[in-house]
Amino acid sequence: MSGNVTISKKFDFSASHRCWKEDWTTEKNQKWFGVNDSPYGHGHNYELHVTVIGSIDPQSGMIINLSELKEKVNEILDQFDHKFLNHDTPYFNDLVPTTENVARILFQLIDKKLSGYKTLRLKKVRLYERHDLYADVWRDTE
Amino acid sequence: MKLNISFTHLYSFSAAHRLYSPVFSDEKNLQVYGKCNNLYGHGHDYTVEITIKGEPDKESGMIIPSTEMNSAVNNLLSELNYKHLDKETPFFLQHVSTGEIIIQFLWDELNKRIPNRLLYHIKLWESNNNYFEIGEDI
Repeated sequence: MSGNVTISKKFDFSASHRCWKEDWTTEKNQKWFGVNDSPYGHGHNYELHVTVIGSIDPQSGMIINLSELKEKVNEILDQFDHKFLNHDTPYFNDLVPTTENVARILFQLIDKKLSGYKTLRLKKVRLYERHDLYADVWRDTE
Repeated sequence: MKLNISFTHLYSFSAAHRLYSPVFSDEKNLQVYGKCNNLYGHGHDYTVEITIKGEPDKESGMIIPSTEMNSAVNNLLSELNYKHLDKETPFFLQHVSTGEIIIQFLWDELNKRIPNRLLYHIKLWESNNNYFEIGEDI
């Protein structure tokens, strides 16, 4: 059998964030981020789609056991779930937690978490910030 | 490791249309377009997924200012929203308003309105059950 097979799993977490740069004027913040949001942040039900590509184990018939993937990704998402991303995680002290940036950080964290596997790798993440807003992150060389 | 990052925003518009091609006879139009050829038209709530791709700005962490993307798309969609496409919009007075043609129209127009060739992909949902795509794969 040929062809690249991928496996994807959906996750969710709820978190608050604030997209704002203190050293910018209100006008510039509104131009880039669109909303003049509360200084205390606002929240979303994020939905994360994780796609893994790899060879299919001839015995199990699987690329990765989904419960293993679930455990590893949830170890990361535990840092994000029910948190204020700007302050409660170490990633957004100097980085605005835009959809793009949160997705990129999640790609990097999950990619590192899966680096022990020799037969598979993270292909792509899609992060929905709302049902009508999402960012995709994938490797440059596919 | 270099990563590709894209950003997608969903928009919607509602419009009426009637599929009818002047190069076909009335019988042929009915045969080709079926119920979409209904004389007085019919309508859809269209959903459009607009994807841009580029390196997020170092400071803001965004590929394009939110207001810039929204105004480019909303200005275009306002030309279609709550209109009968084939009777009231200049482009579709001249072209059949199939999903294939609408998505090409959106692609060409947004490429003019979104700077720096950032536009990467469009997915146009005509209903919950059919959609059209154009651009690079995501």
